[in-house]
Amino acid sequence: MSVPAPRTDPVPVSPRAPRWRVLSWQLLGLLLLLGVWHLVTAVLKLYPPYVFPSPAQVWTEISYGLWGTGPQDGKLLSAIVGSLRRVLTGYAIAVALGVLVGLLMGAWRPLRATLGAYLTGIQSVPSIAFVPFAILFFGLNERAVLFVVILEGFIPVALAVSGALLNVPPALRVAGRTLGARGLSLTTGVLLPAALPNVLTGLRTAWSFAWRALVGGELLISGVASIGEQLEVGRATANVALVLASILIIGLIGGVFDAGLRALEGRVRRDYGLEVTP
Amino acid sequence: MTRIHIRSLSALALLLGVASAQGTTTVRLGYFPNLTHAPALIGLERGTFQRALGKVKLDARSFVSGTTLTEAFAAGQIDLAYIGPGPAINAATRGMPLQIIAGASEAGAVLMARGDSGIRTHADLAGKRVAVPSLGNTQDISLRHLLKEEGLRPQTDGGTVTITPVAPADIAAAFAGKRVDAALVPEPWGALLQAHGHRLIGSEKTVWRGGRYPTTLVIVNTRFAQANPALVANFLKAHADAVAYLNKNPAAARTLINAQLDKLTGQKIDLRVLQRAMTRTRFTTALDLDALTEYAALNVEAGYARSVPDLRSFVRLGTTR
Repeated sequence: MSVPAPRTDPVPVSPRAPRWRVLSWQLLGLLLLLGVWHLVTAVLKLYPPYVFPSPAQVWTEISYGLWGTGPQDGKLLSAIVGSLRRVLTGYAIAVALGVLVGLLMGAWRPLRATLGAYLTGIQSVPSIAFVPFAILFFGLNERAVLFVVILEGFIPVALAVSGALLNVPPALRVAGRTLGARGLSLTTGVLLPAALPNVLTGLRTAWSFAWRALVGGELLISGVASIGEQLEVGRATANVALVLASILIIGLIGGVFDAGLRALEGRVRRDYGLEVTP
Repeated sequence: MTRIHIRSLSALALLLGVASAQGTTTVRLGYFPNLTHAPALIGLERGTFQRALGKVKLDARSFVSGTTLTEAFAAGQIDLAYIGPGPAINAATRGMPLQIIAGASEAGAVLMARGDSGIRTHADLAGKRVAVPSLGNTQDISLRHLLKEEGLRPQTDGGTVTITPVAPADIAAAFAGKRVDAALVPEPWGALLQAHGHRLIGSEKTVWRGGRYPTTLVIVNTRFAQANPALVANFLKAHADAVAYLNKNPAAARTLINAQLDKLTGQKIDLRVLQRAMTRTRFTTALDLDALTEYAALNVEAGYARSVPDLRSFVRLGTTR
């Protein structure tokens, strides 16, 4: 009965490219990009600096903003701290709310048919469109931004959770019941763990939605330390280097978090035997 | 209707301008719908700007604040403009090809508090939300200095005062919705808020330097000025004429200003309100260079620039005389 299937070594999909080689390609690409940027702006001077500043000028803004020691320096750093605090708060609430709503939708069909469909609709509205509405409810402040972040983050989680619950193989459900799991314990002990890989995909989507919503909201609601405000200050003071520095930071942070979540997701998928990668 | 007309004309003029390098066919003028920009409003309403330019078409475009005007200037879409010292200095510092060629108005900015906000003095601004036309603009820099003198700091610098950009014409609505508690605004919007029952907590004199500060300047694109010295000189004559008209016939000027403000913002302002706003604003073609230099220093203090530029290198007055 319980004869384990013979272990077959997973066949690598592609010949294993050494990690250092991939890294060196990436580094080379980055250098090439910087080289072209430098060439166009600092050497050929195709654009005036107030339209397209050179990498050196952007680096100056980054260094002043992150580790400058002047009385007005270090603003990018406090902006990053402020934005991260805001997005992580919003994201945590969104995930908790999303899991709860997702579970309810997974368990109760009428809810899934109504709310699920509406949420899919709301998801297609760009987050920035909700900001004016949020401002009316919460005022021109952080809570309006948080509202948009939570709204954008919670929908993918809720949809992923309810969808993943439906996709749990019936055999697992039956096995769980047979072994005595009922109601809540069936959900938390059997269904959720089984749905984890798909839920993680939803968490990653939720992150990128929440991050974008945050920056969009911060652009409209200034007055608190945020990356969005730094972007707006750069724009307002004709400091395009600061605008580009903010964009780079937004991309970098978004990318780093996405890579982290992707690594976690990949690991879980491997553990679940859903992916065969070396 | 007129706007579409003007826009299509200017697009046509732009095409012609590209086709024939010699001879400018359009002058693109930027300004704001504020009393502090009254010389522009008068020149446009009386038609004196167009007359001064002769056959060259005048394309006047209004902006909410110096920020958006500077963007258009950077994109090469503005030749001449009425603008505050803050954005002008910032733009020049970043290397935009601009020259300051005349003054237009002084003072004319007041600090207003919402009637039910409980704010009575500058010190009461602690923990409140204060609106300015846009970040980095003239009033924003004044406000940051005023807060510093009061021992307060903006929230972004670790303090308690939140500074929010709101277009001056929209502040009455922002007050009604209680979205902001106070505002440092250019006239006539201060006087208008006062007429709505809101409280004046800082007059044009207490805002900065006893009221001796430039609020609006006239700038020109350097390349445009080099290519069209006669056009610029003629425009400056019309500008000086508008300033003289404002000072000689304030009552008639108010009617003209009101007509322009109504066209641009859709708000008809009571003439008595406009009169009160005018008593707080001085119109002059002169430019106080010392005040401007101090202004550049405040810009650094506010964190918008790292050094005070040599203003003499881009101030070119005297064309008026």
